[in-house]
Amino acid sequence: MSGTARFLLASWKVNLASALEYRLSFFLLAGMMFVNNMIWLFFWYLFFGRFPVVSGWEMGDVMLLWAVSAGGFGWASVLFGNFPRIAAIVSSGQLDVYLSQPKPVLLNVLTSRMSVTGAGDFIFGIIVFLWVGELTPRGCLLFACALFVSGVLFIGVMVVAGSLAFWIGNAEGIAGQVFGSFIALTTYPTGIFRGAAKIILFTVVPAGFIGYMPIGLMRDFNPAFATAAFGAAAFFAAFGALLFRAGLARYASGNALAMRS
Amino acid sequence: MNRTYGYISVAGRKQLAVVRIALRQQWAYKTDFLLRACLLLLLLYVLGQLYGAAYAGDYDRAIGGFTLRQVVWYLVFTEAITMAGPPVGARIEEEVKNGDIAVRLTRPLSYVGFHYGSYMGEGVLRFIVLLVAGGMVAWLTVGPPALGYGPIAYLPLALLGLTLSFLMTAAVGLCAFWVEETRGLEFVLQKLTFTAGGLLIPIDLMPEWLQRVCAWLPFQAALYLPARLGVRFDGQELLRACSLQLAWIAALSLLVAFIFRRGAGKLHVNGG
Amino acid sequence: MKLALETRALGKTFKVKEKQAGLRGSLKSLFAPQWKEKTAVDRIDLSVSAGETVALLGPNGAGKSTTIKMLTGILHPTAGEATVAGLVPWRERTKLAYRIGTVFGQKSQLWYHLPPVDTFELISRVYELDRVDYARRRDRLVERFELGPYMHTPVRKLSLGERMRCEIAASFLHRPQILFLDEPTLGLDVVVKERIREIIRERNREEETTVFLTSHDAGDVERLCSRAIVIHHGGVLLDRPVALLRRELLSGKTITVTLADAEDPASVAEWFGRRAWSPMPEGVELAAIEGRRIRLAIDLARTDMNELLASLTQAARIADLTVEDPTLEDIIKHIYGMEKTKGGEPT
Repeated sequence: MSGTARFLLASWKVNLASALEYRLSFFLLAGMMFVNNMIWLFFWYLFFGRFPVVSGWEMGDVMLLWAVSAGGFGWASVLFGNFPRIAAIVSSGQLDVYLSQPKPVLLNVLTSRMSVTGAGDFIFGIIVFLWVGELTPRGCLLFACALFVSGVLFIGVMVVAGSLAFWIGNAEGIAGQVFGSFIALTTYPTGIFRGAAKIILFTVVPAGFIGYMPIGLMRDFNPAFATAAFGAAAFFAAFGALLFRAGLARYASGNALAMRS
Repeated sequence: MNRTYGYISVAGRKQLAVVRIALRQQWAYKTDFLLRACLLLLLLYVLGQLYGAAYAGDYDRAIGGFTLRQVVWYLVFTEAITMAGPPVGARIEEEVKNGDIAVRLTRPLSYVGFHYGSYMGEGVLRFIVLLVAGGMVAWLTVGPPALGYGPIAYLPLALLGLTLSFLMTAAVGLCAFWVEETRGLEFVLQKLTFTAGGLLIPIDLMPEWLQRVCAWLPFQAALYLPARLGVRFDGQELLRACSLQLAWIAALSLLVAFIFRRGAGKLHVNGG
Repeated sequence: MKLALETRALGKTFKVKEKQAGLRGSLKSLFAPQWKEKTAVDRIDLSVSAGETVALLGPNGAGKSTTIKMLTGILHPTAGEATVAGLVPWRERTKLAYRIGTVFGQKSQLWYHLPPVDTFELISRVYELDRVDYARRRDRLVERFELGPYMHTPVRKLSLGERMRCEIAASFLHRPQILFLDEPTLGLDVVVKERIREIIRERNREEETTVFLTSHDAGDVERLCSRAIVIHHGGVLLDRPVALLRRELLSGKTITVTLADAEDPASVAEWFGRRAWSPMPEGVELAAIEGRRIRLAIDLARTDMNELLASLTQAARIADLTVEDPTLEDIIKHIYGMEKTKGGEPT
């Protein structure tokens, strides 16, 4: 176990060094991501300027929603930066490298890239929480839980979607769409969805758990929701890991294209 | 005079040849962009729900001059333009970074012109698919668009809007001559277009001060103007919108030409 | 004779960022980067006549690419002058573009998802070719390059060799006066390499296209070019006709002989020393003995291959025998060595 921990630390250190290699763009990218998210908040400011309360959601709730979603996405992509790219890695045969190393394959894949934009996302999440969040020990703890759950859900869902590449040919495109849609869905108030859409958001595409976090966990703590959210995170993480492991048996290496357009 | 004409017609023919080949290549990506269209369906569905909740399901109420139905169709029109544009900024960045730009420079064809041709070739095909797909969602959720001159005026304005989007992304992509990664800048450009272009919320619904700011920026000419005229047609507005678009196209073309010239100069000095 | 291209003291220096290893080094270069001047091309003089086939050789980083990029107008030199097809490349790049063709081995000009015929069509527009003339030209090249079966297959489904043939045919469409090829045979197998050299040579003969290529494959030079220019550390190390070069430098061969009836490696060595030849014939050196295999380095300028083989077969029963060309690296090392020891132009 400690060997794996040391390995994780080492890969994060290497990642950081190589991220710093691109000197200007390091700050540029992280900063730009921050600004990008601010602009989204600006959209919501405009929106709530016209429609102050929408299905019980107010500006503050949506800001916290962004803090949870961007913050969770941020730490996940800083520490496990390859999670959105699993399909691409599998279908282009790049797993060979990881398979030949004596470390857990999935973990090795996930940690071998650090997303610089993710750093911007994470910092954004923290700052927004400091801005509008409940700054009590209890509030901070709940926010930390929310960040943890949302990050694990992001990773879990993308590992599941990415592992499809072991079975389906064009999983890269599908995984890309899942990624885009999932992120999009986690940044809208869950209150606007009704009926079947709502059920889907709390089962197959668990974006609803991230979306409802500011209300169900942080504003009015709801034990049932909290349990369900942790359960969903655990389920998707475990399911993803199992699916990936099952897929490895089917892995056909070296089908990388020799030429790119 | 004759020679200028000859020059332009030759350049135009080259451009058309690029548009044609880009269209064909795009056709090979059929599945890819059908998937893209799926994402649009989802986005429009979510936004439809959002505005449905905001209007509390009231179809008759007009807010800022827009009814719920008009807002949703407006969103179809802006999204179709935004999502039609291929990632030309990323392509230019890639070419600048890996040196492919050097190969392109040895051909007697304008570099920016080449990318414009391929952008429009791909963009138009995607635009049609996205418009049809988005239109279906809107039709199913809020009913048909207002018939009349609107949808007809929208098409040419959308093409000019696409051209504007191209110029803006190309300008950002060409910054790769100086910064190592332009993705950040491109994100910001995208997000500026989102807000100041009125992608997700018509500019009329924004606070007054912001409306005044937006009026001075090129983003609204790319998205807001075509889409608003598409849902709420007005003959005089059409003329004004069109000339505004052309003025921005002229200004941004100069900017892109300037950046390219400076960048190519740097390339010549420092190598690819 | 008409000149295709000429350079005088053409040179180019770059600024490169220096960085120390590790996280601290990264952080340091983030705030206070250190720049260092690096000479890529060091004042070279070249002159190539129309119709020549010239190979620019050298190890990686010798300045080959930079030179070719300056000659095609992509890079501006920091020193010296050049004229290519009568034009100064970096000043009249667009005009020059009509007169030259370029093939960059790694960088495809073919559209990936489309059949080559579509790219050919585009190129005909880009170079403003006459329609009738273009069609005739295309059909002729398709026939000569034997591209018929591939013209309507998407490029992504072609093999590297097939793609390269299309690539080169495409660059001949507009009848360039000079064709620049950057590593045209890199990554291809022997048969395909040979075919590509053949078709380029044929174009050179029939249309007098000047061919200027970079390579680090000695075969490209021997079989395709009439003249070789070796550059190293940015400077011209050697510039001479391939025929002469062949006599001087490509005459070294390696012969590997596998003996049929010697089981014991030790006895082979002993046998070789005692029975084969003593003394060793002139121009032959024993390079290595590995088990039953003996490697000999031969200088053909001093040794007759016929006699050598005859005496070898007389001396022992031979199971296998191969003759190899020296690698380009060997040749360059050799030239470089001569340069150093003599301290001047090798003779």
